[in-house]
Amino acid sequence: MDMSGGHDHAAMMQGMGKSAAWTLYPTLKARMSGESRETMKTAVVPQNIVTANIDAWSNNLKDVNVYRQLPVDMGGAMLDKPANGGFHWLSAREEEGETVRVASTVYPFNERGAKDPTAMFMQQKHELEIIPQPFPREHSRYRANEDWQFLVRFNGRPLPGQKVYLETSNGSMAEFVADAQGVVKVHVPDDFKAETERKGTGGHNHGMRRSAELVLATEHADGGKTYLTAFNSSYGPNAFEKRSLAMGLGFTLLGMLGAVPLLRQRKAEPKSEETGNA
Amino acid sequence: MLKTIFPTLGRIRFTVQILMLFLTVYGGALLGSYTVDRISQALPALSCAYDKMTGDHCILIVNQHQLHHRVGEALVKAQDITLKVFIPVAMSVGVFFMFFFFLNKAFCGWVCPLGTVQELLYRIGRRLGRPLNRFTPANVGRVRPVKWLMLLVLVLALPTLAGMGVVSNELGDPFCQVCPSRIATTLLTADSEQIAVRTSTGVNFFLGALGNAMFGFIVIAALAARQPFCRICPLLSWNALFQKLSPMRLVKKDVHEKCAKCGVCEKACPMDIHEIGTEFGKKAFHEDCTLCGRCAEYCPDDDVIQLKFFGLRIFASSREHYKRRVKAETPEGAPKKRFINIRFDKPKSEDD
Repeated sequence: MDMSGGHDHAAMMQGMGKSAAWTLYPTLKARMSGESRETMKTAVVPQNIVTANIDAWSNNLKDVNVYRQLPVDMGGAMLDKPANGGFHWLSAREEEGETVRVASTVYPFNERGAKDPTAMFMQQKHELEIIPQPFPREHSRYRANEDWQFLVRFNGRPLPGQKVYLETSNGSMAEFVADAQGVVKVHVPDDFKAETERKGTGGHNHGMRRSAELVLATEHADGGKTYLTAFNSSYGPNAFEKRSLAMGLGFTLLGMLGAVPLLRQRKAEPKSEETGNA
Repeated sequence: MLKTIFPTLGRIRFTVQILMLFLTVYGGALLGSYTVDRISQALPALSCAYDKMTGDHCILIVNQHQLHHRVGEALVKAQDITLKVFIPVAMSVGVFFMFFFFLNKAFCGWVCPLGTVQELLYRIGRRLGRPLNRFTPANVGRVRPVKWLMLLVLVLALPTLAGMGVVSNELGDPFCQVCPSRIATTLLTADSEQIAVRTSTGVNFFLGALGNAMFGFIVIAALAARQPFCRICPLLSWNALFQKLSPMRLVKKDVHEKCAKCGVCEKACPMDIHEIGTEFGKKAFHEDCTLCGRCAEYCPDDDVIQLKFFGLRIFASSREHYKRRVKAETPEGAPKKRFINIRFDKPKSEDD
């Protein structure tokens, strides 16, 4: 598969000119900036793809702003949080000669009462698509050593037997094949290396969680054209990193033992169950 | 037909509890992954956000996050304390109250998945013939303040202080880290991640070890004591703050001086609220009440204990219901029959 066909327009732009060094597939990198939560902005930076606009779909299909074209400038395309929040589908398309390349990703603005994004995800946006089934919801994300499903389709029709390639910024590569329904089950590789402890970052600081990037890509030829579509997202370490199941079970057992005296029948206990003090 | 399937208020409540257990534990898997974003995200029950299949989130995790990430941070930068900061907090409390308004603390007695799990364990304990450990009027007062301490320290103070940078960032959601519902509901979805103790830092490890030990204690204690965790649950105290504001009430009146203070309602109460047997009016609707309705079911006097909504009677105690109830189960919850026997024809009663 030729993945290097596109020249890096983003790389030519000052300030955002970094190609995704870990992959040659087209990707969209969302970056948050701003001092406080209220003033935070999201810039979407296209990588390995030439585009003047980022297409953005909000999950509220009835909204007049359900589809927006965000112009790409020096800092990328600015994605502001709409009133209804929710999940956003972002994509960039590049057509050069007989090659069509698409980068896509999902950006979630967590919001109470946001619409179910499933219908928006399933709406056809490009010829060749990779669609998460589902995308991780709030308090969840892609994590190493987990299986997640994606639908691969062309012009709205599933592509059974389609090959999907995975690359991660940690250096892993893998290949998966879609089933008869065009659904591919992707195993996220457990490829995080042990890190040195960062003091003071704590266990619940969303901004400091370990994270890596993954991209899924697939290619399909039709009508004399070659279509390459990629879907990228971030993922975290496996669920049991810095956790101990053995110690967890041990402390649970300890607690259980602590309650065992409550189970003992008292000798002088009358038939009615109401005696005895906790 | 309906009366055959649901002969007592207890049967209705049990059915609701099982349905709510599925919604709160498996709702996302049953109704769609994104259901969790769409119901309330401020449920007055321990519906755990760590459960990847849950249908909704508990108000307490939302509060901890907001105090940690918004209020605490904003208090440091005093000039940033604006409506923009408090609106999200007010929104959560507002949405919580929209739900709470209709059911009041029935969220504890009818909806909470951990409440249901403890009740199921207690039923198993009855069938295994384990003893019942109760708090007496003399010592119940020792445990009651703990739920307020849990709310004040684990839900309100530590997350705010973590947001201000005064205490470790790992104390941003300390209640969730010790909450047995986090472990119980995730285990029910065959997810063992939450029972594994976090070992990244000393604080994480301490909270995890404490939470696991408490979970283990609750699982065994529930076989021989009713609702052991509910008594110290900060959601019980949080809900108690709002219980007078809901039109859903437990009402006890000395109708024609019928109440003989027989004490059966006290025995039926899973929270050992002895006041229900001795008090009337506001004092009878105690802060520990979960509106399970057992006191009303087991009151042998007509209309003395009632569940009311906007003054309208939803359920009232009656001699008839009491007789039906005690045929199947003692006030303490022990079944009269060892095994469940579902019959659709009218069973012959030994008492008849």
